[in-house]
Amino acid sequence: MKLKERLNKVTREHGLENAILATILLFLFNLLFPTHDSILLFICGEILVSLTVIFLYNYIHTYLASRLEFPLSLVLNAGILGALIFFITSGTIALLGDPSGSTTGFFNSLLSILLNFVFIGCAVYIFSTFRELSFLRQKKNPSTYYNTMLVYFALSFFSETFLKIFSGITFIQTAVYVVTIILMGLNSVRVSWIAFLTKRQKYYLLIVSIILSILFGMNYAAVMNDNMIRKILYLFSPGLHTFVNLVMLYGTISFGVIFFTTLFHLPTAEAFDRKAEEVSSMMDLTNLVTQVFDFKELAETITTITARVCNAESAWLITKNKNEIELSSVNNIGFVDADRITNQLFGSGDDDYNSIEIIQYENIIPSVKNGEATFKSIAIAPLKVQGVVNGYLFAARKRDNVFDLDEKKAVQAFADYAAVALENAKLLKESIEKERLEKELDVARDIQRKILPSVIPSTDQLQISALFIPAFEVGGDYYDFFEIDEERLGFVVTDVSGKGISAAFIMAEVKGIFESLSKLIINPRELLINVNDILKGSLDRRNFVTAIYGVINKKTGILNFARAGHTPIHVCSGDKIERYQPQGIGLGLDYRPGFASSLKEMEIQLKNNDIVICYSDGIPEAKNNLEEDFGYDRMDKILQKSHNSDLDSISNNIIQELTVFSKNHSQHDDITLVIFKWNQNN
Amino acid sequence: MADFNVNLRGVGSVSVIDVKGYLDAHTAPELENVFNKLLDNRQFKVIVNFDELKYISSAGLGVFMAYVETMRENKGDIKFSNMKDNVYNIFDLLGFPILYEFFKEEKEALQKFDSLG
Repeated sequence: MKLKERLNKVTREHGLENAILATILLFLFNLLFPTHDSILLFICGEILVSLTVIFLYNYIHTYLASRLEFPLSLVLNAGILGALIFFITSGTIALLGDPSGSTTGFFNSLLSILLNFVFIGCAVYIFSTFRELSFLRQKKNPSTYYNTMLVYFALSFFSETFLKIFSGITFIQTAVYVVTIILMGLNSVRVSWIAFLTKRQKYYLLIVSIILSILFGMNYAAVMNDNMIRKILYLFSPGLHTFVNLVMLYGTISFGVIFFTTLFHLPTAEAFDRKAEEVSSMMDLTNLVTQVFDFKELAETITTITARVCNAESAWLITKNKNEIELSSVNNIGFVDADRITNQLFGSGDDDYNSIEIIQYENIIPSVKNGEATFKSIAIAPLKVQGVVNGYLFAARKRDNVFDLDEKKAVQAFADYAAVALENAKLLKESIEKERLEKELDVARDIQRKILPSVIPSTDQLQISALFIPAFEVGGDYYDFFEIDEERLGFVVTDVSGKGISAAFIMAEVKGIFESLSKLIINPRELLINVNDILKGSLDRRNFVTAIYGVINKKTGILNFARAGHTPIHVCSGDKIERYQPQGIGLGLDYRPGFASSLKEMEIQLKNNDIVICYSDGIPEAKNNLEEDFGYDRMDKILQKSHNSDLDSISNNIIQELTVFSKNHSQHDDITLVIFKWNQNN
Repeated sequence: MADFNVNLRGVGSVSVIDVKGYLDAHTAPELENVFNKLLDNRQFKVIVNFDELKYISSAGLGVFMAYVETMRENKGDIKFSNMKDNVYNIFDLLGFPILYEFFKEEKEALQKFDSLG
């Protein structure tokens, strides 16, 4: 086994070297011994010839194997070599005349050797070609028959040799010869590759094969007959003569079979072409469907292919979105005409084509232009995905013959592709849209962060800690600080109702309003009344903004503030906590004088180390497992415990407690927490 | 997630909306549909009974704000009744009691409508 593998490897890898070596050896041998009178020389000669043939065969056969895509060129090459042999044989016979002529002398023997080499080359090449052809497009492995034939070829080759050694067994030679011919016949019928040729190629092959069959027949006759060629070959090597002879016969049989097969394939050639085109179109489409996401572009391809494969003059594709019909692409018909015919077909009322239908109309006029032939039949195939019809594919034909079953199936198949493509395009659009929205949300979140103050104006007199935790979506919390003068600091904490982009936009506007008004109005109540007036024009009826605006005097510790619907302010004095919730309705809830009249301002005198806390409702409204609110009391308790710590730890404590409290709930609202601490003595 | 239920019934010339569960951005459209129906039928006297409402978000509050003006312009109103403390606190914080009438019992709200004719 190993030896065989190694041998195979050597013959395969050094195919060319082996072939050349054998040729040279054979050449030298024949030059030295022009006649093989002794039996030993004879056997040597035969072995050398057979080795040359085998090595050449091995080499050429691997070379041809790389060109299997083009069976016609294989045939043509074999044909050319056949023709070459034909010219050489007829030339030789014409020049050298009858076989009684002399073959001795150096020049003559050289010529005869060269001639024999040409024969070896051509015969081996042709033989290899037949091998490739009979292996081409075979479903079952044909090698058993083929290898048997090879054995019989070899037997035929050496039959002369045996005859020379053991005379009187001519019947064996004849038997081997006959079996070889039968095997050639068997191998020749493996011509399924012909079916896959196009119609044009089949016509071409028909002509070529009959010529070649005759040509090879003539070659066979020339080699068989008692003439100069036979003599030259026979003297060189009787085995070679038999081989050439068999190859020529093989050619005659093979090309004959090819001729008749092609002839019988011709009537179905067109149908086969169409089927082949259909299959390749489908394959192209499958690729397109997964690669092209522009539906219009794909629709264009689909209509083109439909018209071509289904033998229709025109094709067009419409998409249906709810009840709106849109023409996606047309092939060989104007948009206007396609539109008109579509309307004509769907106008009759019973316009639900749930499966493919062929409609034959007398009166469908393809064009408003005069003189054009009318469409005789139109195939309508629905674009169906999961039972929903998203459009239709039309194929229209002017000829009298109605769409046959195959064409109908093809139209439906293309419609199915279109349906899938349409669905893909839709899904892709949706996912792009979603991605776009997510990106926008990112941008909005980014902007929201930038709207919040980047620097907290904390001083020794008035320490400030501010914290903002956005919910997953963009929210509408906003806080800011405004340095009115050296003594007074304005601050605002607001919460826009709702979430998402709209809330973020309002929040941005609110910032603008507070920032400009804080420079003009110091009184918190008046400021909020003005904000409410300005917001009137931009807030939707169902939106509102809650806010606390306050001013702290760092020197005196006086806190003035007004509350518009916002959560109360907590003031922690020692371990005593007071909640302040002066009257005031949310901004945007009422634009009438009622807003101003109900808004109360409050003034608180802070004591040394008092802590003031403002926040958004994200804190008290945070929920736990039992749907309970975090509420105010929990926050106050934390304050009480940690009022001596620094502001950041208070803030952390509150958030920590809040996180533990609502651990199984996702944060559904923004959280803002602003803490002040006033120090009198600094 | 949280479920919400809304039921509409007529008591004389007044429409009573019973709200139940969680009224937030997701469930608010259900309530809006009811209000739209009332507008279509030109019914402007509305009592919202909060007896079984557990939670209301700002989006839920927005629904009342969106319709109250139309009701009032047509000599009607939206009045609230049977509100639990935690829900009332939310309304109270925002100052709704200044703008809307709140009643402990639905009956009282009905009487208020009746007394005005």
